[in-house]
This record gives sequence, structure tokens and C-alpha cells, in this order.
Amino acid sequence: MDRLLFLLATGLARGAVFALFALSLVLIWRAARIVNFAQGAMAVTAAYVAFAVTALTGSYWVGLASGLAAAALLGLAVERGVMRFASHASPLSGVIIAIGLVMVLQSLLGMLAGQTVRPMAAPFDESPIVVGGVPILSPYDAFVLVVALAVMAGLALLFGRTSLGLQLRAAAFAPEVSRLLGVRAARMTTIGWMLSAAVAALAALLLIPTELGLNPHSTDVLFVYAFAVAVVGGLDSPAGALVGGLVVGVAMSLVTGYLGATVAPIAVLVLLVGVLLVRPGGIFSAREARTA
Amino acid sequence: MAQHRPRILRAALAVVGAGALVAGAAGCSTPAVTGAAAVPGVGDDVITIGSHQPLTGPAAAGYSSISAATSAYFDYVNDHGGINGRTIEYLVEDDGYNPANTQTVVRKLVQEDEVFAILNGLGTATHTSVLDYLNQQEVPDLFVASGSTNWNQPEEYPWTYGFNADYVVEGAALAQHALDTQPDAVVCLLGQDDDFGDEFIEGAELVLGEGGLAAVERYSVSNQDVAAQIGALQAAGCEINLLATVNGFSALALGTAAKLGWFPQWYASSSGGDYPTLIGYLGEDLGPKLLQGFTSTNYLPMEGDAWVDLFRTINDEYNGGAPFDGNTIYGMSVGYLFAEALAKAGDDPTRQSLVDAVSSGDLVGNGVLPLAFGADSHAAFHGVGITTVDQGVQSYTDSAYVLEGDTVESVELDPVPLEGEGIPTAD
Repeated sequence: MDRLLFLLATGLARGAVFALFALSLVLIWRAARIVNFAQGAMAVTAAYVAFAVTALTGSYWVGLASGLAAAALLGLAVERGVMRFASHASPLSGVIIAIGLVMVLQSLLGMLAGQTVRPMAAPFDESPIVVGGVPILSPYDAFVLVVALAVMAGLALLFGRTSLGLQLRAAAFAPEVSRLLGVRAARMTTIGWMLSAAVAALAALLLIPTELGLNPHSTDVLFVYAFAVAVVGGLDSPAGALVGGLVVGVAMSLVTGYLGATVAPIAVLVLLVGVLLVRPGGIFSAREARTA
Repeated sequence: MAQHRPRILRAALAVVGAGALVAGAAGCSTPAVTGAAAVPGVGDDVITIGSHQPLTGPAAAGYSSISAATSAYFDYVNDHGGINGRTIEYLVEDDGYNPANTQTVVRKLVQEDEVFAILNGLGTATHTSVLDYLNQQEVPDLFVASGSTNWNQPEEYPWTYGFNADYVVEGAALAQHALDTQPDAVVCLLGQDDDFGDEFIEGAELVLGEGGLAAVERYSVSNQDVAAQIGALQAAGCEINLLATVNGFSALALGTAAKLGWFPQWYASSSGGDYPTLIGYLGEDLGPKLLQGFTSTNYLPMEGDAWVDLFRTINDEYNGGAPFDGNTIYGMSVGYLFAEALAKAGDDPTRQSLVDAVSSGDLVGNGVLPLAFGADSHAAFHGVGITTVDQGVQSYTDSAYVLEGDTVESVELDPVPLEGEGIPTAD
């Protein structure tokens, strides 16, 4: 029982980060109908900015804010500078451009900052609070969970309750009609990219202090798992990203604990295949919206 | 999609290779070709050798500095006149730690660049993928950078020689050290889920017996969260944890345990026990505290040795003052050993005379234990010294162990002193 509790608690905070990153993929899918394979590389680039600013100012929070701002700017640059010129004839061209972007960004980071892993300090204590002899969440894990849930709630409000959110959704689902109705569809796409890049960078910045540290490849694995989460949840469903993230995080922890580390990535793939067989659109997909 | 490029490359290489075969066949029918000119990679004043290394990709963080150190050592040798009047040209190809790329780049080195030998190809999975090819082509495959026991098969792979003390030796030595110093301690193990972990466990169980490890946990490099495994070791009441881990995961193991408020003893493989590298991962604040008393193995000179002073000078002068750590010492030691083999391969070396020089047993190297190379041993070291960290300094203890067959013997360290300028000569 103790072991189960410990594994559940370990998986939860990680799952929240997966959920947050998956949410960023959902955002961009809803805004531009693109699966952005460069999301991880863009997030790690922003993390380098955050790292540099933290090193200069000594403040984690200033670094975090600059990282998020840098991510939004990068999202703007990528959308305006590259993605806008992708051919709309085939969805593949956007994917290939994104993969090219991964190579460019990771090589540039390697050349400028080197391949070494730099430790990133967490702003809170990472020692778990022990309840009844079982180590549960650490203050940092709690911080990660709260931030992830708050950001998701904020985004739900933005999309569901504000005029900007309505325009964003309209521009994504019916660009021509919304343009006729006076929505600046192109601008909405750009805002979607900026928002998505910032959320991805936040997820990366929350995860890196719990892992080895900062390196041009720090987000590679995060992207793979988050992509699985987004597909399992349904690419256009924020709720799906949240539930999928927590499920994958906890499942990985349980499988690692009870069956072994080698099996964990396989378990995620089995989950992915299983869900896709039963519900090709993902568990929470709204079918009509997806095909719109 | 990314898969296509190598395939095209390979097709192109096949064409080039076929061309080379035709040219070679034509060459055979011309008796005028002289013996010296026929040895690939050996020119009048330069020897060309090659290597495959992870210069980019996730593995680059841990290993890309090795070949840079080897190149720096060769530059130093070349500036001092080279070996037997020839300079050494070291071609390092990036395989990104992907065996499919290794196959491509090694074929390019052998067929297109016509290297004399492959030196220090890095990685178990990567190098295994070219083992058959290099031996079929009869290309000297020297001092592979991995502790797998694959390289020590003289019958099957006569052209391949290892460099690292193998993982079985390391596992056995650390387990024996635990048994000798703390016979009643609960010994456990955290290992990578591949050959590295398997062979290390094999070594540890040679000493402790089947089931002698109280708990065995494995990790996968694709998941940087080892909380589940460390939690299990803690629950099992482990007092000494053997680590068959690469440096990054040694750091993760120590860091994760510390977060759980658990401070057992750690006994790490040399592949995951380099103090400066671990400090890089754990940070200057926390690192020294966690690593006090950290036990590992090594077989190369360490801080305070004349060899290390020389390597540091070479690193400053020829390697742009790159961070100096275990990889630097490792890379330069490999360079030294190759230079020594080359020096003893004669004035007009051939591929055969090069491997003969290694198998002769005359090589001395710069390790702390005698080299094990011989006609029936293609392993460089059969033993290791035990190291420990005290007050931020990692150094050898008095303990060293050699694995002979299935028995571990305690031996004395026997370091090779530095002579002259650290450039080997023929005699």
C-alpha cells in the first residue's frame, strides 16, 4: 500500500507536466491545424533564455518570465517567418518544416551553448513531505501541480468566456466565415502560436529541474510522451490533454515500479495503440469539430 | 522521413564501393604496385585513422569531449615530430550514437577515406553493428570505447581490441570491495537495462553468489525519472548500492535519494563515477556534499599524477582549455596507447604489424595496472583500482582487484610512470 501511494504521488507531478505540454500541442492544433513537431525544440530554446537570465539576475522568477516571453516571441517568429509560407496543399509540408526547425534549433543551441548538461535549480525544496512514513509530494511537485492546473483553468476561461477566445476558436474552425465577419484570422493564428509556445516553454521549465538539467535535447522525451498524451486525449480536447497527461504520468510510474523501467515506454505505446483502435480520434475528441 | 538520407548515402557508398572494387581488381593485375603504397592510410609522412563518436544527439553531452581530447594529444605528438617520422591524422565521424549511422560512417572511413585503422569507436550497440564488417575487411579495430566483453573474442574477431576494463570486471571488483570492507552490509544494485547492467550484475554475482544482491533495480535511458527505483532500493533496506549507470544517471540516483532523505553508500562503475562530471550534473553547492565517500573504479591515471599534469598542459595548449575531466584523461590515454602501438609496428607499418604490436604484449600504456593484451587476450585491463572521494578529491585507495577466470584477486596498484614528454618511441 505504501509503495502504491509513493508511486502514485511520484507519477502525479510528472503527469501534470505531460498534460501541460500536451495542452500546448492541442492549442496549436486548434489554432492552425498543425501538429507542431518543433514544439520541444522551441521550448528548450526558451529554457536557455530563462537559464541565462536567471544566471544574470540571480532570480528564478525573472528568468521564468523572460523564458515565457522569449517563447511567445519565438512562436511569433516561427509562425510569421516560416509556417505562414508552408503549402496548404498537404498537411505534410508543415510537419516537415517543423522537423527541419528542430534540427536548426538544436544545432544552433549545440553550437552556441555546447552539449554539456547544465543543472537547473528548482525554486522550492524538492524533498517530499512524509505522511505516515510514505514520502508524498515535495513542495516543488505541489508548485508544478498548482501552476499546471491554474494555467489550464486560465486557458479554459480564455477560450470559453472571452471575446478573444471566441475569435480564436472561430478563426481556427472557420477561417473564411470568421474573416467575413470581421475577425482578423491571420492575427488569431499568430496569437495561437505565441500562446502555445509559451505554455510549452512553461512545461519544459517546470520539468527540467527534476531531471538531469538543461541540454539541447532536454525536451526530446517530453515531446514524445506529450504527443502520445495529446493523441490519446484527442488532439482538439484540452480536457483530454489534462486527463491523458495524468493517466500517462501515473501509469509510467506504476509500470516502472511494478514491472520495470524497460516496460514503461512500451506501456505508453500500448495505451496509444489501444486508444487509437477503439477511438481513432482520441478519448475526448469531438468528432464533428475535428473534421471541421 | 529522416530515415531516407542514410539509405541514399548508403546507395551512393555502394556505388563508390563497387568502383573501388573494380579499381582494386585492376590494381591486382598490375605487378608494379609497391608494398608500401598498398597499405591503406599510410602515406610517406602521414598516417590516417578514423573513429565513430556521438558528436551530436543526446549522447553527445557525455562523450563528445573524448575524441576532442584524443585529437589534441595527436596534435601534440605531431608538433613533436610524429611517430616514426609520420604525423597522425585522426578523422572523427559523427554517428549520433545511432547504429544505423555508425554503419554508414565506418564504411565511408574504410572505403572512401581509406583509413589505416579504426580507433576508439564509441558505444556497445553502435560498435557491435560494425564488428563483423571491420573484421571481414581486416581493418585494425583498436581500443573500442565500451566495457562490453564483446571486444575480447580473439578467435572470432581477431582484429578487434577493447580499451575499458569490462563491466564484469568492474561489477566483481566493487562487490569484492564491499565484501572485504563491510562483510555484513546489505548490497543492492541499480543498472541500465542493457548489456552494461547485465554484465555488471554477472560480475557482482560472481562474488556475492546468485541472489547475493538484496535488490536489483533497472532503469531505461529514455526515462530520467528514477524515483520508483530509488524508492524500491530504500524500502529494501539497502546499505551499499552498486551502480551500473552512466554519469548522468549516477547523478540522478544520488540526487533522487537525497530528496528522499536517504544517504546510502554508492559504488559506481568507472563509466558513471567521474567526479568532475558528476559535480557538473549535481551542481557546485550540492555535489561535493553528496559525493563525500563516493566509491568508484578506475584504471587510468588520476589527479596528482605526472600523466595528468602533462594532459592538462596539452588540454590547455591544443584543446582550447576545454573543461578537464575523466573524459579528457581517457581520450588522451587512448591516443597515447595508439601512438605506442604505432611506434612498435615498425618503420613501414602494415595493418598486420599494427595488431601484432598490440598482441605482442609489449605495450605498456599509462594505466595503474599492467595491460592484459596478448595473443589470447584482446582486453586492455583485467582489473581495476578502487577510488574514493574525500573532501572533493577523487583518488585511488589501496585496493585493486583483478578478475582471473571466475575468481577475484586482490592486487597492488602498479602505475606506469611518465617518461620524457609522453610520446612513445619504438623501443
